[in-house]
Amino acid sequence: MSTREPRWVRWTLIAVALAFLGLNLALPLAAVFAGALAKGLTVYRAAVVEPDAVAAMRLTLTVAAIAVPLNIAFGLAAAWAVTKFDFPGKALLISLIDLPLSVSPVVSGLIYVLLFGLQGWAGQWLRAHDVRIIFAVPGIVLATVFVTFPFVARELIPLMTEQGRSDEEAARSLGASGWTTFTRVTLPNVRWALLYGVLLCNARAMGEFGAVSVVSGHIRGLTNTLPLHIEILYNEYNYVAAFAVASLLAGLALVTLVAKSLLEWRYGDQLTGSGH
Amino acid sequence: MTVSVAGLTKRFRDHTALDGVSLDVRPGEFLALLGPSGSGKTTLLRIIGGLDFPDAGSVTFAGEDVAGRPARERQVGFVFQNYALFRHLRVADNIAFGLTVRPRGLRPTPAAIRARVDELLALVQLPGLGRRYPAQLSGGQRQRVALARALAVDPTVLLLDEPFGALDAKVRGDLRRWLRGVHETMGLTSIFVTHDQDEALDLADRVAVMNAGRIEQVDTPDAVYNRPATAFVADFIGNACRFDCRLRGGEVELAGIRLPNAAPPCGDGPGVAFVRPHEFDLAAEGRPGLAATVRRVAHTAARASVECVTSDGRVIDVSAPLDIVVRGGEAVTLVPTTVRAYPA
Repeated sequence: MSTREPRWVRWTLIAVALAFLGLNLALPLAAVFAGALAKGLTVYRAAVVEPDAVAAMRLTLTVAAIAVPLNIAFGLAAAWAVTKFDFPGKALLISLIDLPLSVSPVVSGLIYVLLFGLQGWAGQWLRAHDVRIIFAVPGIVLATVFVTFPFVARELIPLMTEQGRSDEEAARSLGASGWTTFTRVTLPNVRWALLYGVLLCNARAMGEFGAVSVVSGHIRGLTNTLPLHIEILYNEYNYVAAFAVASLLAGLALVTLVAKSLLEWRYGDQLTGSGH
Repeated sequence: MTVSVAGLTKRFRDHTALDGVSLDVRPGEFLALLGPSGSGKTTLLRIIGGLDFPDAGSVTFAGEDVAGRPARERQVGFVFQNYALFRHLRVADNIAFGLTVRPRGLRPTPAAIRARVDELLALVQLPGLGRRYPAQLSGGQRQRVALARALAVDPTVLLLDEPFGALDAKVRGDLRRWLRGVHETMGLTSIFVTHDQDEALDLADRVAVMNAGRIEQVDTPDAVYNRPATAFVADFIGNACRFDCRLRGGEVELAGIRLPNAAPPCGDGPGVAFVRPHEFDLAAEGRPGLAATVRRVAHTAARASVECVTSDGRVIDVSAPLDIVVRGGEAVTLVPTTVRAYPA
């Protein structure tokens, strides 16, 4: 008995999927670029090199440059612990890793305000030592780290679970130390999944709005990331500039998409636990 | 090098894998741990190798207690069931791995490493395959690379976990012979785990039969086959048929006949008896013994296989000489010629 649908069903479904994608992805992207170039290239360029925009870009890049490596380290450590060892509380750790994905980004930012803000738990202590976290760059970094934490770990855990512990046990029985086993056996086995996770983590780190908005304080030129800067421009009715700066983020999204697709196409079997 | 374990106990969350296991492996011996799934044989092997740790008991290598030492420091060569070759390294780099991870002071020169790799590739009969990746090898070839990799670090003990489990029958037979040859060349104390009794009886110097976390018997293959010490061993080895019987004065009463008990002497009472397929005689209908009807006769192996159904519906495959004259549908009597019985 054939399980293939009649042609018209297949084509209808494809058309519906394309229409959905077109309406919700392609059209908005096109609108961003159209809006950015609405008044020509000179205006576009001016908006992008404007000092506050440049400062926002620099802050976004700095935050990503700190958050992504931190999350690579955390993600690798968590995946390594969860998949290579048995310990009480393992199930709890796995749930905690997924927590940032189920919590609203605004709440994620609020956590840090409640902890480190002036009225927060550590607020008085921080003030006494003249350490600024909330409404300053460290707060933005912390909020970004929290929000992007799961991406690397979630890519690695299924793959490492499927790969099991035999390779590591073999390395240990041959005399390798824990660190050597990790760098020469575990890491090479997961390198493409790791890269994939880094891509996702980076995209989210650069594009995060909600959590960063709560902790940032919106100080122009100092604590505005790119997404926050776009919001400010938009609220000032400076649409073309807003779209111009937004096109940078849209461009990043496209680059990320292409890189993801390349990885999936070339190393797909090594990304999820089916390759050997 | 002698390997000894004494009083090993290992419990997992819901069951006991090892229950007070003691075993002495002689230097240069090729010992098989044989048993059904769940008997604890792989757990025992892993504890000897330092990949798992017991809840109680000791492990000694040449008299020295190694219980505190992790796998890394025990100098064992471990061959895993699924080979566990490093997929991103070439065959030569896989074999050399154990040598390249040694600390600076103990590491051989690159030239020495290369020479050793070539030597091992020759030993495992894979010369010239050093530049290939594991994914480009067949199952049998991967198994040999895994062995070469384990031997590269000059282990004092070789441990193999179901080495031929994942291979097809023909390859398995060839590799069995080859492994025996390698063992004779190297003279290493080797312990291997298998659930395949043909393999264990064929390869090993001694076989340790395990059941539910305990060792039932440790003996030469000949002794394990012909003089099983317990009911479990008699049942597990050699495809025996199991019958209820009565033990009386060193004799076994079974199906209306009396036979001497070929198993170790035991007291009187109800018992279980084991008769192997070739230990039945086919006599005419009506004689003392088990009444049965012949269902099928096959002359497709070195001995004829006569499938019989007893009066209570039990199917027994009897192994008879090729010149046996019986036909399907004929009524016969199965007369056991050798029986091993144990207290029930």
